Amino acid sequence: MRRTLPLFLTFVVGMFPIFAFFVPHRAVSDLNQQLDTWLVIVAAFALPLGVVNLVGSNITKIKRKQKGWPYSIVLLAGLSVMAFYGIMGGEQGFHPKFQYMFVNMVSPLQATMFSLLAFYVASAAYRAFRARNIEATVLLAAAIIVMLGRIPFGDMLTGGRMTPLSEWIMTKPNAAAQRGIIIGAALGAASMQIRVILGIERTYLGKGQE
Amino acid sequence: MHPFGVPIGVWINAFLTLCILSFLYKDNPFFRFAESLFAGMSLGYYIGIVTENTLRPNLFRPLAQNFWGNVLLLIPMALGIMLYFRYIPSVAWLARIALAVYIGYYVGVYLMQKLHGDILFQSRDTIVSLRAGGVDTLWNIIVMVGVFSVLIYFYFSAEHKGALGKVSKLGIYFLMISFGASFGYTIMARISLLMGRFSFLVNTWLRPIISS
Amino acid sequence: MDIQKLLYIDRRIIYLLVAIGALIPIIRPIGLPVVPTAPVKGLFNKIDTLGPDDAVMISFDYGPSSEPELNPMAAAILRHLFIRKVRVLVVAIFPLGGVSMAIQQLERVSQEFDLQYGVDYVNLGYKDGGQAPMKAMGVSIHDVFPADVDGRPTDEMSLIQQVVNYDDIDVVISLATGVIGEWWANLINAQFGVDVAVGCTAVSAPKYYAYLRSGQMIGLLGGLKGASEYEKLLIDRYPEARELYGKPEEAKKSAITGMDVQSIVHVIIIAFIIFGNTMYFALRRSQRR
Repeated sequence: MRRTLPLFLTFVVGMFPIFAFFVPHRAVSDLNQQLDTWLVIVAAFALPLGVVNLVGSNITKIKRKQKGWPYSIVLLAGLSVMAFYGIMGGEQGFHPKFQYMFVNMVSPLQATMFSLLAFYVASAAYRAFRARNIEATVLLAAAIIVMLGRIPFGDMLTGGRMTPLSEWIMTKPNAAAQRGIIIGAALGAASMQIRVILGIERTYLGKGQE
Repeated sequence: MHPFGVPIGVWINAFLTLCILSFLYKDNPFFRFAESLFAGMSLGYYIGIVTENTLRPNLFRPLAQNFWGNVLLLIPMALGIMLYFRYIPSVAWLARIALAVYIGYYVGVYLMQKLHGDILFQSRDTIVSLRAGGVDTLWNIIVMVGVFSVLIYFYFSAEHKGALGKVSKLGIYFLMISFGASFGYTIMARISLLMGRFSFLVNTWLRPIISS
Repeated sequence: MDIQKLLYIDRRIIYLLVAIGALIPIIRPIGLPVVPTAPVKGLFNKIDTLGPDDAVMISFDYGPSSEPELNPMAAAILRHLFIRKVRVLVVAIFPLGGVSMAIQQLERVSQEFDLQYGVDYVNLGYKDGGQAPMKAMGVSIHDVFPADVDGRPTDEMSLIQQVVNYDDIDVVISLATGVIGEWWANLINAQFGVDVAVGCTAVSAPKYYAYLRSGQMIGLLGGLKGASEYEKLLIDRYPEARELYGKPEEAKKSAITGMDVQSIVHVIIIAFIIFGNTMYFALRRSQRR
């Protein structure tokens, strides 16, 4: 039962959105709506699931005084303070300190972390972007045309030809390649999803279920 | 508090920005501090929004206001709590029931999303009439050839030799154009992020200090 | 030997040049021209046909990691909608920051107009579950958002009483950093038929062209360039927008100003690529000898 019940539930719940898609009956759509709104709640519980693992591993790190343990204290402190004000919101929406900490701390940290990539991408462009063979040359040419098409200098240099050329690349050959990738990936994903619904693929249930 | 005419929040913001940027020179304790703070606060933020914007309005309040009218909400609540049973060995198997429902639902939704929203719509727009007229017919042919050759490139069940090899080679060129375009766009995105931070440091933080 | 040294220069020199290139236009903007393209006009022209009887949903599906690209888009689109008196419903599906971005942008733009909360616009806040709330809104928006971002019951709001589900919405605009923008196209447009437009970070723009071509999207704003094109269309069409973007503090935040930085750093990077390749071929030639 411990083994079969989860597989049975995956099948039933997994088949339901598919069934509802093809059967637009009122009763089916009501049930489908019920399932959708329930899953909003289940997903809300699932999102902080990672927190438990992270808190556990960081407490162990501090207890054992492993390398870099003071940073674990910083992590746990940040988490606790943010979560505290997050939960303290009450009936009037977010606690003012929660939004304040988001704007002045979480936001700059995340934004700056990603802005580092500007430097790396420039460095990579210089070091790795070489016209070694025909494929690489095609890639290089497309990149330069698109880059020039996205800035006013490109049009200034070519008498307004760069923007239309870059748009042509984006809407024709690029769209075709992306479409190929989308269809290919969708076929792969769909076959995997069928395997999960039918209980052939069971790794998501954890050890001892495969 | 406004040291040098700048709110304390902006000082914190600028300090953390510089902590992260310092990594460009080399790894250092300031970066490590900011990195850990980021990881912790992000998770704290999740807990805040989940509680405030989902659990409170969609679960706790309906149950508090009209328990028997919303009694069915106990089902998703129980499933949600059961997900955490994985950390208690004696009842860990119950977590799999909740996981099965959670995974099952999203697999079903994704399946239709992919088959219907991606494969059907994208194929329908690829297999179009060649009577569009004028240059559009040529562009439709290019897109059709592009999609077909890229799909052949991703077809690994037969060796890419002969005609199959040639078509798949054509697919590579389409992919290279697209990757080149993606690279150009990626550069643009990354620069925008850098610009955002520099604009903050210059316009929001430094300018008021200088003018005060 | 010298060529080899140039080919493997300390990466920090490249970093420094990029930093200088980005800083100069921020300190002293240049004011380069912007040319609007068809994907951006697609959304602009659609909104230009809407009025007070229409409603648009904006989903804030991004966080601080793409704020510099997507904030200007959010501001420009909200201004366009408010100028045309279109009713606006704001939601957030992206967990890390979506709702905070929505609060910030609405606070900034709504005060520029004479608007009544709950009648002209509403911020419904964040909801977990990705596709689950998106699908459920196809039947009832109120089922998913019984309360707004601050916990006010939505059934008392005339906007939510009138706008029941996607049937009452003219366009859904997703400002997206990742995959959520695609879901609006391949799930919500595909299954509910509502028009979808996406404003995305430039990284993901190439993929959206496939959805744009297939008609699953009516418009696409790709990165800062897309945002600057939208601002340009808005400024050219509406005198009140020209006045808004003419204010120095708004001009600093605008995508059109940001495009100056883009242009300079793009030129630096293109120069790096050309220089790197020239050195590479020079080295190969000297090695052959």
